[in-house]
Amino acid sequence: MSRATSLARYSLWQFRDFAIDRGAAILIIGLLWGYALIEPIRHAVGPQVVGSASPLWVVAIQVSSAIVSVAVLVAVNGIVSADRKAGYYRFLFSKPVNPVLYYAQQFFVYMVGVIASMLVLSSLLHKIVPTFSIPHFLLYTALVYIAMGGIGFFLSVTTRYDWLSLAAVWLGARVLRGLYGAGNDWRSKLVELLPPVHRLDDVANSLIGTGSAHMADVMWLFGYGALFFALGLAALRWRSLAD
Amino acid sequence: MAKLPAPGDTDDRTAALVIEFRNVGKTYKSLLGNSVKAVEEFSLVVVDGEILGIAGPNGAGKTTLIAMMLGYLRPTTGAVEINGVPARQYVERNGIGYLSELIAINPKWRAETALVRFATLAGIAQSEIQRRVDYVVDLLGLAEHRDKKVKALSKGNLQRLGLAQALLRDEQILVLDEPTHGLDPVWTQRFRDIVQELRRPDRTILIASHNLDELQRLADRVAIIDRGRLQRVVSTGYENAGVESTTEPIATRFRITLASGHEIIQAVFPQAEDAGRGEYDVTVHSLAELNAALADLIGKGALVASVIPERSVLEQQFREAVGESQ
Repeated sequence: MSRATSLARYSLWQFRDFAIDRGAAILIIGLLWGYALIEPIRHAVGPQVVGSASPLWVVAIQVSSAIVSVAVLVAVNGIVSADRKAGYYRFLFSKPVNPVLYYAQQFFVYMVGVIASMLVLSSLLHKIVPTFSIPHFLLYTALVYIAMGGIGFFLSVTTRYDWLSLAAVWLGARVLRGLYGAGNDWRSKLVELLPPVHRLDDVANSLIGTGSAHMADVMWLFGYGALFFALGLAALRWRSLAD
Repeated sequence: MAKLPAPGDTDDRTAALVIEFRNVGKTYKSLLGNSVKAVEEFSLVVVDGEILGIAGPNGAGKTTLIAMMLGYLRPTTGAVEINGVPARQYVERNGIGYLSELIAINPKWRAETALVRFATLAGIAQSEIQRRVDYVVDLLGLAEHRDKKVKALSKGNLQRLGLAQALLRDEQILVLDEPTHGLDPVWTQRFRDIVQELRRPDRTILIASHNLDELQRLADRVAIIDRGRLQRVVSTGYENAGVESTTEPIATRFRITLASGHEIIQAVFPQAEDAGRGEYDVTVHSLAELNAALADLIGKGALVASVIPERSVLEQQFREAVGESQ
């Protein structure tokens, strides 16, 4: 049996790991968060058609996009570093397995897992807000997974504290762009190198709401994440598996 | 000083080369700039069919050496090659049966599930996986533990599970780091039997251990390392005892018990020390010297009850090598 076939077969185990270790947590967080924020507004608004001007619609967009970010954070946390910290790499990679392909596969298996989790949550939301488009939301989920997850993957390869690093990078980029993004000095040029998280709100509103978004924004987010994912794979090849 | 006879010595080996450590060094550097040399200028060739022991005190560099052999660590200097290709490349193409000193398997997995997973990664055909898993479970006495979670296994059972995953596939190279750590005497003996059964002309086995007695019994040669440096390579067993390093072989002490002929012993072994109850400690520099003297002793009418080495050749070499480096 070829190495590629056996690795592909192992993806079922990776998906099972995702479902047990992360998928369940994502669903619980999403359900509790969504219920706590959306249900009171739905109750207040009552049975009316929900348009884009409705407060329920606004909250649904905000909550759903925030849940996607949290889901991605949970999904890529320790995606590589956990095996290194716990020493699991020793038995995994004494087998005829290329670690670069193993973790690349794991990244995409977890992406499928995040999308499946979001499918469950958005189906429930769709019951409450019928105008909420599940396909548009899943498209947004995929984009955020690549954008945010790609950076998380890179940090997981290069640091031990990837969850903390990703949260710091994500929030730090927002804060620094807020402070210096509008200027014209060296600091504003420097913050341009940070992850384009400022584009995420517009993309969330347009992509989830209408299914379309500025291509430039989408390409920035996708390209940034894909670049860091590729850098993560290169770092995985270059650096030692052991600490 | 005469060298211990070594008919099985490895100088004239003709078997294909399998593993080559070429001037390998590993230095760990901290962020503050401090550096620790874990391995230095280590060169050794391990060939097909050989069981090589790696002995050394704690922190000698055994595990670092193995990590470099599996490609988990990159050497700072030199290279490790297996069958002519970089070690990591070989492992990714062929796999190695590896038992690490630290058995790290996800504690939430069940023992059998863990083995099925590793078998899948090892590239064992789907139809064969259960048969191979059953085989190693039986071989290592894990039948009653197969449904237990890894976190529920005792140290000894976990060690056996680690060994089981290393034996899932018919690997050409086996690397066992402290394999009997945590095993009870019954399973320690069983492990030795298993290793002997695994011995094959086209298979190379590396065993790193503190346990010199174990290496003496299992290995053909033992590389003694200390403070990251190869001190010497010792061929085990009295029939082929020898040292490949440049150091001179050292004297070996034996305790001879005589049933009769006590008065002759000093004539044959002038330096013999009387240990009481018919026992004498003698020092020789080769098995040939010992056998010639014993023949002389018996020829003169003595009745020899037993001849027991005070220490194994390996233990003696180990003491000498580690002592030298310190």
